[in-house]
Amino acid sequence: MRAYLTVFRMRMHMELQYRGAMIGGILCQMFFGIVLTALYRALYAGHPQAIPIEHVVTYVWLQQACFRMLVSSDPDLLDKIRSGNISYDMCRPVNMYWFYYMRIMAQKLMGSIMRGVPMIVVAALLPKGWGIAWPHSFAGFCAACFSLVPGLLCMCALENITMGFTMRTLDPRGIQSMLNLLMVTFSGNLLPLTLFPDSWQKVITFLPYAQLLDAPIRLYTGEYAVSEALRIIPVQLGWCFALTFLGMWLWKSNKKRMIVQGG
Amino acid sequence: MNTVKLYIRSMGMLLKSHLQYPLSFFMQTIAQLIMEGGEMLAVILIVNRFRQLKDWTGGNLFFFFGIMSVSFYITEFFGRGITGDFPSMVRTGRLDTFLVRPRGVLTQVLCGGIDPRRITCIAVGVAALVIGSRMSEVVWTPLKVLCFAESIAMSCLLILGLFMIEAIFCIHSVKSVELVNALTYGGRSACQYPIDIYPKPLRMLFTIIAPFALTLHVPAAWIMGKNLYGWPSWTAFVTPLSGVLVFGIMTVLFKQGIRFYRSTGS
Repeated sequence: MRAYLTVFRMRMHMELQYRGAMIGGILCQMFFGIVLTALYRALYAGHPQAIPIEHVVTYVWLQQACFRMLVSSDPDLLDKIRSGNISYDMCRPVNMYWFYYMRIMAQKLMGSIMRGVPMIVVAALLPKGWGIAWPHSFAGFCAACFSLVPGLLCMCALENITMGFTMRTLDPRGIQSMLNLLMVTFSGNLLPLTLFPDSWQKVITFLPYAQLLDAPIRLYTGEYAVSEALRIIPVQLGWCFALTFLGMWLWKSNKKRMIVQGG
Repeated sequence: MNTVKLYIRSMGMLLKSHLQYPLSFFMQTIAQLIMEGGEMLAVILIVNRFRQLKDWTGGNLFFFFGIMSVSFYITEFFGRGITGDFPSMVRTGRLDTFLVRPRGVLTQVLCGGIDPRRITCIAVGVAALVIGSRMSEVVWTPLKVLCFAESIAMSCLLILGLFMIEAIFCIHSVKSVELVNALTYGGRSACQYPIDIYPKPLRMLFTIIAPFALTLHVPAAWIMGKNLYGWPSWTAFVTPLSGVLVFGIMTVLFKQGIRFYRSTGS
């Protein structure tokens, strides 16, 4: 257990090193946030919807703030898969799956805290209707924070599944970009899930991708009442277990068919 | 003319080399199709829910989306050397070899990369254009076709010019500067919708600094029989020329930048 915690801590420290990239990332994400906000505001001006514009804008900002949590992968692992150096990892006295799970979790968590917190602060200072709104209620805020935990766990499990596929195909670009696209679309980053057709929403809110950020954000804005958290969090946890088991099974079967070329 | 011949020959060679791994190529091409399809899905869903955006109908929005993605991905297809490979050329010192050859550096960089996977993105863009022009009931005349072609060509030069900003920074700082992505990829995301929906600072940015509005939106609006800024219709032929202007300025700056290039060593 201690080994995993150490990996987690080390990776956190490493992520902290890239402060220059952080500022660039924040400014870039802020820009996208402003563009999207302007777009939705213009769309709402002509055709108001049942969901208030403040919720959509808040949704956009929270998505942008957590962008790093959504799409970031472990560059070292990708390198190792390509070069075959992953075989060294088999010698480590730790479970490979959890070793990389902790690494990616530290990367996602630290990366999004570093970028997300300053962004949310700046977005909160923007004029009303442009910036992020206060949470619907304090209880809703707590529920949202709490449901981010299974959300993050789901994200790491999904990332490891992608990596599991990459181990088979070796070329990350094909399968990875497909899975990433599914993620970006159905997690609400491309278009808030609240703006998808209502009939679709019944299905997509149950998909694993909606558990990552969509569910916490809806709790934050009050789209889901606090009492509904009792329904949502079990769904999130269910996906967590399912995705983790799938990933572990995938990694295990990959280990069996691994051929070390020597050299 | 020699340069053009050289470019076409290198394109042929690079294309062949990409097709050496057919399965990987196929997978990546499909991935690109799904990626751009996802972007279009967002526009479809927006049109489905909101019907219109200011005075622009759903058909207009598809047309704007299509013209943007066609020009952006044509640039990425043929300009891969600048849009994708350049930072790694500087980092690894591969750019050094270009300096000793009897051709311009820019020519060689452009001859050095192609990204044929983008063909499916262009296809999605073309589909959006066809849908958009049908829905907006555009009557195509030779003059409109000319305007359309000019708009695409000039936008490609503009996008290439914007990517060159990143290349110029990269020569100075070795590391690629992500912030410029706000102009290139951010410009694509923002300007796949008509410019007049944005607040003034963004409008200024995309009209004066990165003039997507001039190369894309003014001519596209004229083709669809609408008027963007209330300018007379001949402007639809003049404003796109700002694309070649940006490209020209960036070429000069690029040449200046190369003078300061210091190799990272081998």
